[in-house]
Formats: sequence, structure tokens, C-alpha cells
Amino acid sequence: MKTRDRILHTSLQLFNEEGEEQTTTVDIANEMDISPGNLYYHFKGKDQIIAEIFHQYEVALSGTLTAPIERPLSSPGNVEENWYYLYVVLEEMYQYRFFYHNLDNILQRYPEIRRHFKRLIQLKRATLYAICQTLIQQSVIDTGEQQLLGLVDNMTLNLTFWLSYDQLLHDQRDPSVSIHQGVLQLLTMVAPYLGDDQLSFYRDCEAIYASMLEEAG
Amino acid sequence: MSDDKSKVTDKAGEIAKNIWLAGVGAYGRAVDEAQTNLKKATPTPPKLFRDLVKAGSALEEEATGARDAALSSVEERISQVRENFHMQRLARIEDLEGLHSKVDKLTRKVDALTRLMKEQQAVSKPAVKKKPAAKKKAAARTAPRKKAAAKASTKSGK
Repeated sequence: MKTRDRILHTSLQLFNEEGEEQTTTVDIANEMDISPGNLYYHFKGKDQIIAEIFHQYEVALSGTLTAPIERPLSSPGNVEENWYYLYVVLEEMYQYRFFYHNLDNILQRYPEIRRHFKRLIQLKRATLYAICQTLIQQSVIDTGEQQLLGLVDNMTLNLTFWLSYDQLLHDQRDPSVSIHQGVLQLLTMVAPYLGDDQLSFYRDCEAIYASMLEEAG
Repeated sequence: MSDDKSKVTDKAGEIAKNIWLAGVGAYGRAVDEAQTNLKKATPTPPKLFRDLVKAGSALEEEATGARDAALSSVEERISQVRENFHMQRLARIEDLEGLHSKVDKLTRKVDALTRLMKEQQAVSKPAVKKKPAAKKKAAARTAPRKKAAAKASTKSGK
């Protein structure tokens, strides 16, 4: 891996684990066993590192979020694809979770990121809207138009702030449990509109969550 | 009815797409750049315009490339999640099967112990004191015990 990429990689890891505000460029250089001078050769400062990491995140998540808008994830026989997709989105968000852990603070300090972050949230909403439209078209759920808009907004809200809520409530817990419960919460919102067939998937999801909690003790 | 539904969906797809186009990625950035650059340099538009077009199409290419890559990677990752999910769901059934096979194994062991005990009793019946025999019986408790007890009683009946 090139030094530049290693700097980004290490920064992301430290931001996620130690917190972005507490991590300095010197910490990053120390963690990598390079001199701060070497780090400054690649990046002017932490601002630039964060901007670059956000750009990576934006490209990756936009790509993922655009998929269900470009074409439906499921045909009538395999609706589950939509639920599995939610894991993919949450996993990707988890990789860059430090943004969400301290969101207001970061967005205030980096107005440029704020603008782009807003777009990401709009895109999330568009994605969830597209998924729900597919589900309506395939007669998996049945909602009125107003209900649908409310549902989509609630899901967007939940998806966006799930990781910070989870961290506030549980500090550090097994990521697979956080992610799984995040998906379960989203499904809980859709559940009242689901028919019996799809409820069985929901029950499986519940059961897996229960056994995860048991294992975690 | 279904016509209405698909009409709504078409419209929704369009709206979703418009939100995407208006809100995200290369499109917005290219417009921003174009505006700032135009403000900066009115004297030499032709060169700038060429640059802008070049930059714009490069951005578009980058975005399209990223989108294509993302589409296939989303499908790949969905199938990974699916596998994972099924494994976790199956684990519960497998746990039950594991339990069954454990019970089967234990039953076989108990049977074997019972057989062993019977053989030992047959070989060394006169030498065996009462105490150890009682201990062995205790070790082989549960269902087979009845059998052993029954056999023992027939033997003693002889």
C-alpha cells in the first residue's frame, strides 16, 4: 500500500476507534511509525485527510445507494434481496462511523462536508423511496401515498442516526449486533404493511437478534 | 388498478432519479465548478470552455465508472449477506441436530456400558462383592438400568 493510502487507512481506523476530535496528525504519524514531516508531505493537515476520507465515503455510498434507483433489486419471487441490501448499506456506513458519532460537530467544522452530507441523506431517502415503490409494485406492502412518504422519512431518519443512537446506548458492542439490530428496526417500520409471507423473514430476523443477544450474554 | 400502480411507480422512479441528479455527485460538483470558473475568467472563454467540457466529461466518466462498479459490487455483497443470514438461520436447526446426535451418542455409550457390565457380571459373578456391583449400576442409570436390573433378576432366578 502506498504511504498516502496508508495514512488514509490509519486515520480512518483511529477516527473510528478513538474519535476524530481526539486524534491529531501526530497520533496518526506515530501509529504508522512515520515522521510527522512525512505525513505533511502527503497531506497539509487533518482537514485535508478528513476531506479525502469523506470523498471516498461519498463515492462508495452514493454508488451503493444508487443501485436500487437504477433498477429494482428484487423480482416478485425474491423480495428478501431488499432486506439483505439494508445490511450492505449499514455495513458501509459502519466503516465510516466516526462521521455519525460526532455528526453535528464535524459538519459545523467542515461546511463543505455539510453540503455533501445533505446530498447523501437526500440520496438515502430517494433510495428507500425507490425500494418501497418496488415493494408496492410487487404487492409486498400496501400503503397510501401519504403513509409512504412518512414511512420513507422515518426509515431515512432511522438509517442515518442508527449508529450514533446505538453507540450512545451501548458504547462499543459487537458490530454485527449493531448492524443486525439496525436492519431489524428498519424492518419493524415496514412490518405493519407486510403480508404473512414476508413476516416470516421478519421473524427470522428477530430470532437471529435474540440469539445474538444470548451469545453476547 | 395495476396500470395506476405502474404509473405511480414510473413517476416515483423519475422523482427518485431527479433527487439523485439534483442532489448528488458529479452533476452538482461540475455545475459548481463551472459557475466559479466562469465568474473568475470572462476574458478567455474558449480555452476555459474547452477545459470545462473536458473536466465535466471526465467527472461524468468517473461517476459512470463508479456506478457500474458499484452496481455489480452491490449484487455481490447482497449475496454475501444472504449467505451469512442463511448460515445464522440454519445454525439454529443445526444446533438441534447436534443435540440429537449428542443424545444418540450418549445412548450408545450407555448401551455399551450396560453390555460391559453384563459381561463382567457373567465372568466374575462369584467373586464380585455386592458393593461394586451396586456402584456400576448407579453409573449406568437411566433407561438401560431397568434392562440390567431385569437381566440381573433373571440371572439370580436361575
